[in-house]
Amino acid sequence: MSKSKVAVATIFGGDAVAYVTLALISLFCGIPFVWLILSSFDGNASLFLRWPSPWTLNNYIGIFVREGGARWFFNSFVVVGAATIIVLVFAGLGGYALSRTNAWWKRPFLYSIILVRVVPPPALIVPLYNILLTGNKAIESFVRTFIHPESVRPVMRVVGLVDGYFGLILVFAAMQLPLALWIMKTYFDTIPQDYDEAALVDGAALFQRIRFVLAPLALPGLGAAGLFAFIGAWGDFLMPLILLSSSELQMLPLGLFRAFLRVQEIDYGFLSALALLYMLPSVVAFGFARRFFVQTFSGGVKG
Amino acid sequence: MLNYHDRTSWQLKLLLLPCVLLIGALVVYPAVYSIYLSLTNASLVGAAATHPRFVGMRNYVRLFADAGFWHSLVVTFWFVLGSAVIGQFVLGLVSAVLLRRPLRFKNLISSIILLPNAVPEVVAGFIWISMLAGGENSTLNRMLGGLSVQWLQQFPLAMIIVANIWRGIASAMILMMAGLSAVTADIYEAARIDGASPRQIFRFITLPLIMPSIFLYMLVSTVATISIFGFVYALTRGGPGNATEIIGIYIYNQSFTAFQLGFGSAVAVVSLVISMAIGLVYVRALKVQV
Repeated sequence: MSKSKVAVATIFGGDAVAYVTLALISLFCGIPFVWLILSSFDGNASLFLRWPSPWTLNNYIGIFVREGGARWFFNSFVVVGAATIIVLVFAGLGGYALSRTNAWWKRPFLYSIILVRVVPPPALIVPLYNILLTGNKAIESFVRTFIHPESVRPVMRVVGLVDGYFGLILVFAAMQLPLALWIMKTYFDTIPQDYDEAALVDGAALFQRIRFVLAPLALPGLGAAGLFAFIGAWGDFLMPLILLSSSELQMLPLGLFRAFLRVQEIDYGFLSALALLYMLPSVVAFGFARRFFVQTFSGGVKG
Repeated sequence: MLNYHDRTSWQLKLLLLPCVLLIGALVVYPAVYSIYLSLTNASLVGAAATHPRFVGMRNYVRLFADAGFWHSLVVTFWFVLGSAVIGQFVLGLVSAVLLRRPLRFKNLISSIILLPNAVPEVVAGFIWISMLAGGENSTLNRMLGGLSVQWLQQFPLAMIIVANIWRGIASAMILMMAGLSAVTADIYEAARIDGASPRQIFRFITLPLIMPSIFLYMLVSTVATISIFGFVYALTRGGPGNATEIIGIYIYNQSFTAFQLGFGSAVAVVSLVISMAIGLVYVRALKVQV
């Protein structure tokens, strides 16, 4: 052991103390999951921690057979996936522009992104609902003029701003965009301008430059931005709560929540299995995103 | 005809346009619109639903005389202080410092600490409902040797703080690790040669060097904790009574349960102002650094 490591080691006591402390913190972090995992395999799961008897996979199979499950997954993937794609395209273009510009508005723009990021989503729900409701009426009357009255509702479920995929997609994209823009701007800062200039000399137009030179170079940045957008939107509960009401459009967070509220006959095994599958994509995404995590806090430091 | 320079600057603005439009329409405009709404008697039901009237500062007068509002501010304050400022920070810093050592199972330990951070809000709520359920059979009661405490009924605020600490240790830990990586081995070496004790090294070298990270963490986590809604809502829905009605839940309940959009917006404006003030401190700090 080097001297410096000895110094680190003795600040908070010896290794034994370190192991005990870390074990306690890990227990605190890990134990709550035990119930979720066990009861998802339990044929008679309850709200309480118990050893599964009988062990079963029926809870998982139920997700694809029973009402809810698969439908909620599908809706979540459609909405969150579409929002993530919008975020990637918009933030990729915008981040490039922010990184390359030297205009007077660059600094103010960057600072306003920080201010936009601190806006608490609960503070926006009322005006957001009003705005989307107004937009929804406009879209609906537009749809009505072109489409047979009977198919208006199914169409509105897709293009509607309230109780429709489209509105929620836009809202998720808007909520995740500021962070993604930061990440992309910071990332493009690390790509030398020589690349743009070389492509420019070769006579590439702006969109050719983006498509063939910058987009491939930006892939790692886009990866990080996409992961955080996905995690943020995937876990969000508030926006679906405000904006969705049709059971056909129900997404995982709200479906789980509502199923849990049916105080009588809660099927804990089914809900645990569903909750476990629901958290899986964000856990995986978080595993990949982990090394970019610091950027999400301190992206601003480089100005 | 535009010269090359003007043309590029025009192109860059065009590239930024989609972001500006989307964020402008669905974040900035609603934030401004909420100020207008807070000055009306807008409602989800009744005559005011179709024709809201301008009522001036009436919502704010009512708000500042409203015990429920002050209660939710106080609950939010303790929630932020207990979970983000103290709990997550202390446990995160301790974990970060200890995980710098060449220990076994380092990756396993840090993965376990990171896990709660990746869990969707509703699942986290679901998990803690089971942990904290009342009766002798609940997980926590059995771990504590057969108590039968109704945790969420008897200590609601303390419990949402504990559960939120659980969710957030990881973010504090990661940020503190980043800060600590600035404290290199040769700095310790130099301090040791000068005869500094480990305690002195921590107090006079490590702590000052990670101060910027701590400052950053405090701002970011305070703002993030004020924004929490889904996790606490899934766990307690603000109850029992209004014991865990943090400001996000209060806004939701006033607007969508009590249908008073105007009044709810006034609460929203207050939480916007608080968050903006913290955001401005952050921006100022950045200006100093740049």
